[in-house]
Amino acid sequence: MKPLRIALTKGRLEKDTVALFEKIGFDCTALKNKGRKLILPVGGHQFEVVLAKAADVITYVEHGVCDLGIVGKDTILEMGNSFYEVLDLGFGKCKFALAGPKGTDFFGGYSAKTIASKYPNVARNFFESKGMDVRIIKIEGSVELAPLLGLSDAIVDIVETGSTLKENGLEVIETICDVSARLIVNAASLKLRKAEIEDLAEKMDRAKEGKL
Amino acid sequence: MKKYNKITPEGTRDLLFEECLVRRHVEKTLTDVFSARGFNEVVTPGLEFYDVFDPEFSGIGQEVMYKMSDKRGRLVVMRPDSTLPIARLVATRLQNLPKPIRLFYTQPIYRNNTALTGRSDETVQTGIEMLGAQGMRVDLEVIVTAVEALNRCVPNFRFELGHAGFFRALAEQLPISEDQREDIRQAIESKNYAALNTILDGLAPSRQVTAMRSLPRLFGGEEVFDRAASFCLDEKSANTLTYLHDLYRALIQFGLGDKIIVDLGLVQRNDYYTNIVFSAYVEECGDAVLLGGRYDELLKRFDTPMPAIGFAINVDAISKILLGSGKAEKVLPADVLVHGETGFEIQALQYASELVQKGLKCENSIFEERSKALEYAKICGIKRVDCIGNTMESIAIAQDGENYEAT
Repeated sequence: MKPLRIALTKGRLEKDTVALFEKIGFDCTALKNKGRKLILPVGGHQFEVVLAKAADVITYVEHGVCDLGIVGKDTILEMGNSFYEVLDLGFGKCKFALAGPKGTDFFGGYSAKTIASKYPNVARNFFESKGMDVRIIKIEGSVELAPLLGLSDAIVDIVETGSTLKENGLEVIETICDVSARLIVNAASLKLRKAEIEDLAEKMDRAKEGKL
Repeated sequence: MKKYNKITPEGTRDLLFEECLVRRHVEKTLTDVFSARGFNEVVTPGLEFYDVFDPEFSGIGQEVMYKMSDKRGRLVVMRPDSTLPIARLVATRLQNLPKPIRLFYTQPIYRNNTALTGRSDETVQTGIEMLGAQGMRVDLEVIVTAVEALNRCVPNFRFELGHAGFFRALAEQLPISEDQREDIRQAIESKNYAALNTILDGLAPSRQVTAMRSLPRLFGGEEVFDRAASFCLDEKSANTLTYLHDLYRALIQFGLGDKIIVDLGLVQRNDYYTNIVFSAYVEECGDAVLLGGRYDELLKRFDTPMPAIGFAINVDAISKILLGSGKAEKVLPADVLVHGETGFEIQALQYASELVQKGLKCENSIFEERSKALEYAKICGIKRVDCIGNTMESIAIAQDGENYEAT
């Protein structure tokens, strides 16, 4: 049987995942000393881990070239989902929020507002659910700049501690939803390799709860 | 102005040679199974009125339909699904035929998928629809036909069986709004346990809530039926479960054994499925290669109520698997190149017809000079050139050496 292939988001989630895997007792030596390799064995040769950017994790899982993926809910919300989202891993916690210049009444007035965001779909869905017409501008980095420069009335972004907002005179207007890392599974893989995948998901769930 | 005359739109592609051969092979293999079992072919238009696919009952979002308007400004779409047009066709033109009506089709569907995801907007499907009948005999016939069809192309599949009724019955018993119902349905569909728990935690604890919570986990082998029994709180659900169990046992008896799994969390992907639903998966493909189910309520939408069941197989996905496995047929060069010397052009064509009748694949030489014909044969890998003049001369073409050998 070929190893289960897991797409793992590079960076912070990678470290938390390695810690979780080690708690379960999987050998992560190759993953920790990866060099330039992109496909790495974990837990002997039981699994193969593929390191990828968050959005690509979803793409690989959707197409079934990876069986499982570990990715933030933020990316899932932005990219849509045609896969199974079986486990909230509990790390990588933050939230989506609508934020704007301190002390302004965002919902007041009748003119259509302009929103800057790295997550245009999340922003669009949020305002659609409110039945509000807004203009959305996609920004690639440091979204906080947009209201400061007068490009937008507010931003939709990931907020962890809120200190970046504070330092730039912005505040949370409304929390949109909580975000954390998720274990996602390709639909066909879950049907074809149910036992192995359920076993892994259960181990991860128990390790997360500290029951191992 | 930028011209787009050298590329095809995203989500579409040209099919060449082997790709065509394998697609025709898959289509023929599958449809042979259908017609041998008494299903008759229909073709529906590529363009249909938008109203046939009304998202309210089709489950197809308006954003995924390719739309345009007809000569009178009415909204038409490029067929995004084949079951709905067939329901329309049966309801309006075949309603008086003796039942059951057994139909099959092979045609592309069009979906405007999200950009840059690598998905095809044009997908060839072949499938059957059996209308005007219900019950165990009908469901078994359709599933066995699906299994037999897949066995001929991709024997290593996994067949999944579920029922859209469990979710409906449970949802009816919960004090929830239409929106909450849809949220719960989506959470179960994507096996998103975290989201499902969040929604259900907001409701007063009850046996129904507990049952709903475990719905996405109710998949696997025969043990699922035991686990589900305690969650069937009303007679209807209990009967549904018994029916599904009987169906499952019959399919095991048919030899599906370890190939079949039950998933009670299969909440219908298309809203027109109201009863049993099934799908098939193969290792090489990340999506289901077969989707089907019973849609007893759909024909009501076309004012001729009758029960119906059917499935569609993704021909493109299966073709891709066969191509990748290297088992697909190769495009071979012609057996013979027939070259007519000057003045013998028509004789050459007649001679070629004779060879074709004998079962040979024959190409006609369009060259004036014999040397050009021989050169062409060599480049194309044709091993024999028959030259027609006052006499017929057959020349074998050496495929590795440089010299032409006369025989």
